[in-house]
Amino acid sequence: MRILCVAEKPSIAKAVANHLAGRVVTHNVNGTPYVKNYCFDYNFRQWGQSSVTFTSAQGHITSSDFGPRYKSWQSCLPIALFEADINTTIDDKMKPVAENIRQQSRYAQIVFIWTDCDREGEYIGSEIRDLAVAAKPGIQVKRARFSNIERNHVIQAAGNPVDLDERQVQAVAARIELDFRLGTAFTRMQTLALKPLVEQADPGYKVISYGSCQFPTLGFVVDRYLRVKNFKPEPFWYIKVSHKKDDINVNFTWSRGHLFDRMAVTIMFERCLAAKQAKVVEMLTKPTSKWRPLPLTTLELQKCGSRFLRMTGQEVMKHAEKLYTAGWISYPRTETDQFSKDMDLKKLVEKQQQSQQWGQYAEMLMGGGFNQPRVGRNNDEAHPPIHPVNFVVPTQLSEPEKRVYEFVTRRFLACCSEDAKGVSAELGIEWGVEKFNAKGLTVLQRNYLDVYPYDKWESSQQLPPFTVGETFIPMEAKITDGKTTAPSYLTEPELLSLMDANGIGTDATMHEHVEKIKDRNYVMTRSIGGSRAPAAVAESAETTRGGRGGRGRGRGGRGGAAATARGGSGMLEFIPTTLGVALIEGYDQVGFETSLGKPHLRKEMELQMKAICAGTKTKYEVVQQNLDQYRNVYSRSVQQIDVLKTAIRKYVLQQNVG
Amino acid sequence: MAQSQPNLASDLLAHLSTKGLSPTPTWLTTFLTTVRPNTPIAALKQTALFRILASDIKETTTFTPSSVFPPDIQDGTIKDRNLPGPLLVQVLDVEDIGTSRWSQVEAIEAQERGEFTRGREIIRVTDEADQAQQGATQAANARNRQQQQQQQPGEQKSWGPHKLLLQDARGAVVYGIELVKVDKIGLDMHIGAKLVLQNATVARGVVMLEPATVTFLGGKIDDLYTAWKEGRKDRLKAAAGMT
Repeated sequence: MRILCVAEKPSIAKAVANHLAGRVVTHNVNGTPYVKNYCFDYNFRQWGQSSVTFTSAQGHITSSDFGPRYKSWQSCLPIALFEADINTTIDDKMKPVAENIRQQSRYAQIVFIWTDCDREGEYIGSEIRDLAVAAKPGIQVKRARFSNIERNHVIQAAGNPVDLDERQVQAVAARIELDFRLGTAFTRMQTLALKPLVEQADPGYKVISYGSCQFPTLGFVVDRYLRVKNFKPEPFWYIKVSHKKDDINVNFTWSRGHLFDRMAVTIMFERCLAAKQAKVVEMLTKPTSKWRPLPLTTLELQKCGSRFLRMTGQEVMKHAEKLYTAGWISYPRTETDQFSKDMDLKKLVEKQQQSQQWGQYAEMLMGGGFNQPRVGRNNDEAHPPIHPVNFVVPTQLSEPEKRVYEFVTRRFLACCSEDAKGVSAELGIEWGVEKFNAKGLTVLQRNYLDVYPYDKWESSQQLPPFTVGETFIPMEAKITDGKTTAPSYLTEPELLSLMDANGIGTDATMHEHVEKIKDRNYVMTRSIGGSRAPAAVAESAETTRGGRGGRGRGRGGRGGAAATARGGSGMLEFIPTTLGVALIEGYDQVGFETSLGKPHLRKEMELQMKAICAGTKTKYEVVQQNLDQYRNVYSRSVQQIDVLKTAIRKYVLQQNVG
Repeated sequence: MAQSQPNLASDLLAHLSTKGLSPTPTWLTTFLTTVRPNTPIAALKQTALFRILASDIKETTTFTPSSVFPPDIQDGTIKDRNLPGPLLVQVLDVEDIGTSRWSQVEAIEAQERGEFTRGREIIRVTDEADQAQQGATQAANARNRQQQQQQQPGEQKSWGPHKLLLQDARGAVVYGIELVKVDKIGLDMHIGAKLVLQNATVARGVVMLEPATVTFLGGKIDDLYTAWKEGRKDRLKAAAGMT
């Protein structure tokens, strides 16, 4: 048998070839310095002793383009691009790669595809298949299912080929077609109409690009910015009570928090005083625990990277990708936050025993401390949660890679640990009809916290003993006032969460959209000052009241993580440029229901992709339905282009317009 | 089972007074002229209650000194006093004083855009309505309507405590504060809704509202409600200094 194996990237081809082969002969490929052909013999479980050539693509091979009639910006109205014929061609840069695959296919009976196991990888697999089949009709096409390139896993995958999933291929094809048509049409339309205005402020400005994920992403940033800008602080009042017992001073918090009506608070306070005695209605001591984190998903990795490692989502993914390619961690693009039961996690823990930093902890886990990780709610059925596959000596890694590897590993070890344990005390009193509470926490066993310094959970002051029914006159009570503070600008973790909750992009592509709006000069980022006051304490307390609901992905423990991590961690915050604000406001004014700056249209598209994958819709249906919808938005925007122009004048040119 | 007019009138009066409502003779007479004589008494009772709850009590009910606020009700020097009642009032205004005006304005604006948020997810309210127009089966419509009704209180949900502006049958107005959560008092109640106070405490000229002393009868006054609803955002903005 002669078998041609094709990976998505050269690094994967090299790594997998080296795992499979005893001895590899490396050949150069004409016209590209990156792609190599690795030749070796291998005995496949299903195909027997074979002669293998292992090569790779370099990401997507083909790209879309409109025919010559539509190529020039002046050649047609942009709306024509909704229907114009699309040519799929091989990129000039990819021609040597494609030629290599064609050539190698001619000698092979089987083409065995090793692209990454996600929707995009499935599509690249189909591009490889098409090349191979064209070069050698009748060639058998198989695909390897793998999620990391640890040796045993790779050997497993080599022995268990599957078929390409045509539905996933179609879903990506639909996405590509829609993104291309809509992106080009709207980009041309808004650039032609608005660029002359923008140039007055920024002579070098080239293209006002549109993307169906970019714009809603920008919309979130603008929305928050406007909320910050329009914010007006408001005074509030509350009752503060403290009492000393056994020489311990207890500060009580009012169950109402604070109220925005001084008269009401004054009357309530007076009624407390009139009641004289406060009565203890609750004194509860109960065991409590801080749950170990859930297994790590891509989104969570990006959010934590931004919070704890001071890296953007883009950077974290870049380093994670490297660590994956080098075989140190599993595939970093995953939505799964549950480990399958048959995975030998202990074996992975065992490998970490050699670490200088967390080796001892890993030993403790191996010596009986191991716990099966918590099971999250998400499973993409393709990849396990991100975890370390092998131990690597830190000196082999670059500084940022080291930090990402450390985070992934500590997170994994934390997952396999016991929850932190403590005792919480809750003291409730009633004073008149008003209720006040005090809480105390004693941490008894830190457990996972010992290996996971990113979470904080510390003992507070102890409460003195009280008994239910006991009465006392509070030693100190007064009305205190405060003011609401503006929310802070959107941070990267918040932006990613918003994108996730609203179906903008996939876990694997979100950070790219975020980068895009920076590149396009629609937003700027700056580091949050170390001394920022605890942002929006009052307001955020209100917003969390509503509960999480919705998809409510219970990621990152029991919520609240965002709140605690706030406050000067050097995280980035996003501020829109004048152009960014103008575009979003302009489109919002053209029509809220279908504004390009809102997530709804794109969310629907994302759901339809899933429907294609599930086999309930075809690519044709999805493409047509979306084109119809966006065609409406397009004509409305053209009709009301003056609304957009006005917004540009108002913000970008700072002109006072009606 | 034809009942004579006077008997009917006294039956109705008796029924309404169990609710704390005492209509004027004029109202009762007018009411009786608008109903068909053979209507069963139970239905009549219901109609009468419904109508009087939808009326302005200043015009439709009688009062005695104990069923209205004392003339010095607003006196802020009186720390604490009791109103035995029963005392019928109608709600002229309701505010959520537990939430900043700014965030209330934001919530209203989101609603105006046809959105509401569930956690971090931004949801378009009109999604279902659109589908209903396309889908068009009655069952689907009914289901959608139901969904929207379920959403409505979600959008309007207010945590309180609430501050109410109350008016008695004589027209005196006084603030009430929800000292303890009272069922059905909230931003989703109607302006013109009627409450009966019994043994309520008044502190510094403000009525303390508690479940033990407040009976919520419901009802609304359409004109007032419409005006209140339309002006709410502007009032909040003005109060927050946003205009």
